[in-house]
Amino acid sequence: MTTRRSFLKAAGIAAAGFMLGAGAIFNPAHAKISLEEALKKHLGVGLSAIKESNEIKVKAPSIAESGANVPIQVSASVPIEKVEALYIFVDKNPNPYIAHVEFSPANGEVFFATRIKMGATSPVRAILKLKDGSYLMAYKEVKVTVGGCG
Amino acid sequence: MNLTRRDFLELAIVTGAYLATNPVSALAKMTLDDILSFRSTGNVTLLFTTDLHAHLKPHYFSEPINLVTPKNLKGLPGTITGKDFLRMYKISPSTLESYFMSCVDFPVLAQKFGKMGGAAHITWLVKQIIAERGRDKVLVLDGGDTWITTAVGTFTDGKAVVDWMKLTGYDLMVGHWEFTFGKETVLKRIKELQEAGCEFISQNIREVDEFGFEGDLVFKPYAIKEVGGAKLGIIGNSFPFTPIANPKQFVEGWSFGIREDTLQEYVNELREKHKVDAVILLSHDGLLLDIALAKKVQGIDIIISGHTHDVVPKAYRVPGTNTVVVIAGSHGKFLGRLDLDVRNGKVRDISYKLYPIASNLIPADKEAQKLVDKYYKELDKKLGLSKEIGTTEVMLYKRDTFFSTWDWLVGEAINDYYGGDLDVVTSPGYRWGTVVLPGQKITVDHVYAYTAITYPNVYVLKRTGEQLKMVWEDVADNVFNPDPFYQQGGDMSRLWNVEYEIEINGPQYNRIKRVLIGGKELKPKKEYLVAVYGGPPPPPEAVEPGYKPVPVYEILINYIKKKGTINVRTKPNVKVLDAEYHTYDECYGGGK
Repeated sequence: MTTRRSFLKAAGIAAAGFMLGAGAIFNPAHAKISLEEALKKHLGVGLSAIKESNEIKVKAPSIAESGANVPIQVSASVPIEKVEALYIFVDKNPNPYIAHVEFSPANGEVFFATRIKMGATSPVRAILKLKDGSYLMAYKEVKVTVGGCG
Repeated sequence: MNLTRRDFLELAIVTGAYLATNPVSALAKMTLDDILSFRSTGNVTLLFTTDLHAHLKPHYFSEPINLVTPKNLKGLPGTITGKDFLRMYKISPSTLESYFMSCVDFPVLAQKFGKMGGAAHITWLVKQIIAERGRDKVLVLDGGDTWITTAVGTFTDGKAVVDWMKLTGYDLMVGHWEFTFGKETVLKRIKELQEAGCEFISQNIREVDEFGFEGDLVFKPYAIKEVGGAKLGIIGNSFPFTPIANPKQFVEGWSFGIREDTLQEYVNELREKHKVDAVILLSHDGLLLDIALAKKVQGIDIIISGHTHDVVPKAYRVPGTNTVVVIAGSHGKFLGRLDLDVRNGKVRDISYKLYPIASNLIPADKEAQKLVDKYYKELDKKLGLSKEIGTTEVMLYKRDTFFSTWDWLVGEAINDYYGGDLDVVTSPGYRWGTVVLPGQKITVDHVYAYTAITYPNVYVLKRTGEQLKMVWEDVADNVFNPDPFYQQGGDMSRLWNVEYEIEINGPQYNRIKRVLIGGKELKPKKEYLVAVYGGPPPPPEAVEPGYKPVPVYEILINYIKKKGTINVRTKPNVKVLDAEYHTYDECYGGGK
């Protein structure tokens, strides 16, 4: 059941370039930057230039079991030849940039799974940079909570 | 005709009021035959209980005065209470049904109709229906929160309840509070059940390694059962937020979650590969989440819900779907029955009823009674369960969205124990407990029925006003998020010595408006002395020196003994700014 995912995850890290952003590791000493700033820095465009698309699926728990370790999985039905890279952002993290993954046609399809750190309830965004220079995005809200009572 | 004690009471009441009512019809409404009457149909009978909370003996349990709900969800089953509930389901006031299903006139009707639930009475009814339908046509299911949270459940490590489930002939179950016994005990009890033919199923629990990567399923995701000539696929969902709502240490190495994607995969697998005639989800998700889930996952015929304790007397077909959702209340008050006509891959007819377990009308199964008595006798000797420690003047209850008399009593008791030093006591918003009627003696058993958890210690900590408000906002979002996928199905934390105003439809983390602690505005930077329990244990260095952690039930038992007569406020400490919020007097009368 995990074969496809584990395989692709390994492939994604080995074959494609996988960069972990400083935002994935918490450091409260870092000055907080906004999502808009982070998008501009890494993509060169702001949120308004990015189109929402149902061709991308972000799978993540609605409520995280631990903010320190949130499983996320991104898949997309966009043909791999058209894709340059996948970017992941978490709006409310001190640094919203989490990672980017470059794809090549050898990857077969856009599929990437990892664990991320989240400091607070926030949308988790997956943004695809296409070779024609345009961007597509999907997001899922993940709640980080101290708990509640059963 | 044999007059039972019940009939006798009925007669007495009817005779007293015979000018006002029609005695014949009034009496006819209260017979065992009437409770048993059911339009049976088809080839399959599903019998189900949920959220027994280890109440093996009959007791009193009132439905809540309030189920304050975000406005986009209000009106759905599980969001309506009191007189509105009676109107919605066309139930006459002062009837057995209204006593079991609403809070209206609870203390008065309790005198008339007596105690509710009781494991031996459930067993009798299950056996009765099995005898009527034939064992091959019946599945007996349980939705979890079954083994724990009374003395007899918690202090036998769930054994008393598991033995009863074996005797009663349960086929399948899922869980939640069961997990707070810890993995080892849970797996041991599950094995015992399995040896007796009852399987624990859950598609939403997976092993997870120390890096957070997921492995295999911990339990079978579903079971396939041949029932009445039909092939049924039953998928299990245990409580998705178990490691969040309860201390994580109990389920270290297991990951939960709603997991709607794999749920859809299993539905498809059952239909396409196993060619089942119907797909059933046995769930501890909570009713509102299950209704939302039915819109996301295609191909489930029936969801048997649990966790939120809702009483839904009519099967609810989720608009825009072919999925029917049912739920059978809590605390042993109901046995749900769903008859299905299932043929050639289709559910053609359904018939549904919640049987009220009126312990004065439904006989006790002798064997089950013997079992319950045995466990009670043992524990009574050890813990003095039946010992009367005081009398209450107001009705003690816990279930409500914001406030309860029991929780206020807990606040007073804990503050008294710690020398009156505390600024705040927070009690968890569990939906379980029991009821002690005005004038009734409070026993040790009652105290445990509100507090018997495996992590009972009260901790005293220092928290700033800011920190307190942040935690309360966090809990409020778990209760009032407009999307059920982001709720946890509990009630709001109970805050003793605090008064606050809340806008439940307000923005996330910004719902609580004005907060007073001890009558004074909350100061964000001020440090307050706060007692907490029912959450994950704080790190030892966070516990305030000089305030020893003590189990909450010990504090309560001693406080009630000391006071003798209990008389706490019934007026809520919370003002809801944007929704109806009913008070004690409207349901229970004569509040203070």
